Amino acid sequence: MDTDSVSRDTLHSAGIEQLVVGSGLILFWGWLLARWVNDWLLAPLGVGPGAGEHIIAPSAIASVGSTLSGASGPASALVNPLGGALTGMATAIEIAPSIATAVVFTIALTVAGMLLGLVLAVPLAVLRVYGGPFRWLALAYTELIRGTPLLAQLFVWYYGLPLAVWLQGVGPIGGALPEQAFWIAIFGFTINSSAYQAEYIRGALESVDTGQLTAARAIGLSKLEGIRHVVLPQTLRYAVPAWTNEFVYLAKYSSLAAFLNVPEVYYQAEQIASQTFAYTPIFGFVGLVYLGLVLSITDGMRRVERAIAIPGLGSLEGREQGNTE
Amino acid sequence: MSHQPPLLELRDVHKSFDNEEVLKGIDMSIERGDVEVLVGPSGSGKSTLLRCINRLTEIDRGQILLDGEDVAGPDVDVNELRQQVGMVFQDINLFAHLTARDNVTLGLRKVKGLDTEAARARAEDELRRVGLADQADSYPAQLSGGQKQRVGIARALAMDPKLLMFDEPTSALDPELSSSVLEVMEELVAEGMTMLVVTHEMRFARGAADRISFLDNGRIVERGPPAQLFETPEHERTRSFFESIASEA
Repeated sequence: MDTDSVSRDTLHSAGIEQLVVGSGLILFWGWLLARWVNDWLLAPLGVGPGAGEHIIAPSAIASVGSTLSGASGPASALVNPLGGALTGMATAIEIAPSIATAVVFTIALTVAGMLLGLVLAVPLAVLRVYGGPFRWLALAYTELIRGTPLLAQLFVWYYGLPLAVWLQGVGPIGGALPEQAFWIAIFGFTINSSAYQAEYIRGALESVDTGQLTAARAIGLSKLEGIRHVVLPQTLRYAVPAWTNEFVYLAKYSSLAAFLNVPEVYYQAEQIASQTFAYTPIFGFVGLVYLGLVLSITDGMRRVERAIAIPGLGSLEGREQGNTE
Repeated sequence: MSHQPPLLELRDVHKSFDNEEVLKGIDMSIERGDVEVLVGPSGSGKSTLLRCINRLTEIDRGQILLDGEDVAGPDVDVNELRQQVGMVFQDINLFAHLTARDNVTLGLRKVKGLDTEAARARAEDELRRVGLADQADSYPAQLSGGQKQRVGIARALAMDPKLLMFDEPTSALDPELSSSVLEVMEELVAEGMTMLVVTHEMRFARGAADRISFLDNGRIVERGPPAQLFETPEHERTRSFFESIASEA
């Protein structure tokens, strides 16, 4: 096979991949936006089916499903599983409205944890690489946070530390309400994610040539200014792929907020499943929702990476050349 | 007429790394407008000497005076000092994320405090001076080695240095690319810039230097006008070094 046809093949498969992911994402966000518009914009105005009510009625599908899965006769081996699938689909449609609401919490937890985590991670990584005698502070922080389970950290923040006590005074009943739990979860994810992000940024910091900082200092910038204006802008570009990875992890780890009773996706699914025992369709559907979120993140970050790309800097250029040449 | 101190004066400068003494007592003075070329085998301490002058490296013993003032004095702001002593690097070190123009404006804006417009105008002047006015929007990766090094020179010039130091500015470049850099350096010589140049470009040394210092093993073995070092060196070591360089060329 000559190189020309190889490149055409890769282009072709990349095109199909983009088409599948792209249409999947349009479907996913179309559903979410339709739900949100219905629940929060139209329902208060009395337009549409109302908040939390179904846009597509699941009952018709459910009845067809139960008929098919109960059917007997020569085609039953084929028809019964189809009926099962339809019943499952009906369950998914049944729970879809409450999951759509829960997605807002999952997104908020993840995005807030990532962005606030980044704000902590940058100085942590700088301290780790350039901190001299204070490096150990950053090292101790990252090792402690990365070395203990996220769920254990969440419980410590929730039950153990002054944070929960302080928020208890705010709440009317005393015990942590979901709203407080939401803030505690964001705090916990921020702390946890900052340690991981700091490690990624440290790696990127170390991959910037030391001559860059030397040159910055040689024109009269202080060390900190050199880091700020010369090293970090390059570092953060190098760090985008690893940062995307952490983003994807946190989107899924945000499900641990369910243990603090934050009504995010996993919590809602678990609540419904424990009443209906329809675990397979519910968590199959929830899996698809997380997949939609993760693909949205990787797609969005690819756009970010492209938007901030600079010729000759980072790995994007090499990858793109690999695709087109 | 009042007596002016030399622009740069080194007095018995010593520097060790771990247990190895790299500079073993360097004395040298450079007058305004002079061009001093430092030559010597690799590892002789040339680069270290330059880095000591703008305090990228601190010396162990001795004194370095710029304009009569100790560069390590208690009142000296090191970032202020480094504006006065420009440096051009062997590995160029252009800021990889900035265009040619912004490589020059960064120092103007963040160190000299110029506003964006003034910095931009000044940067374009400096790029014109090194013949790269048309490459202002190019990123380092889009420039040839010689073009990059000329941006490096423009970046240093923009800070209005009293002294411009070159650390083997062409040794990472192909010969055909070096010539554009050497031309720019020769123009600076003609403009009267005080320069301290580490280089193996003997044509430049012979044509542009007021004095050449031959450094070996942390000491200045011999120092004098080009003709003396090239033709009538006092020391055998100097003669053999210049012969080996000539045979390479």
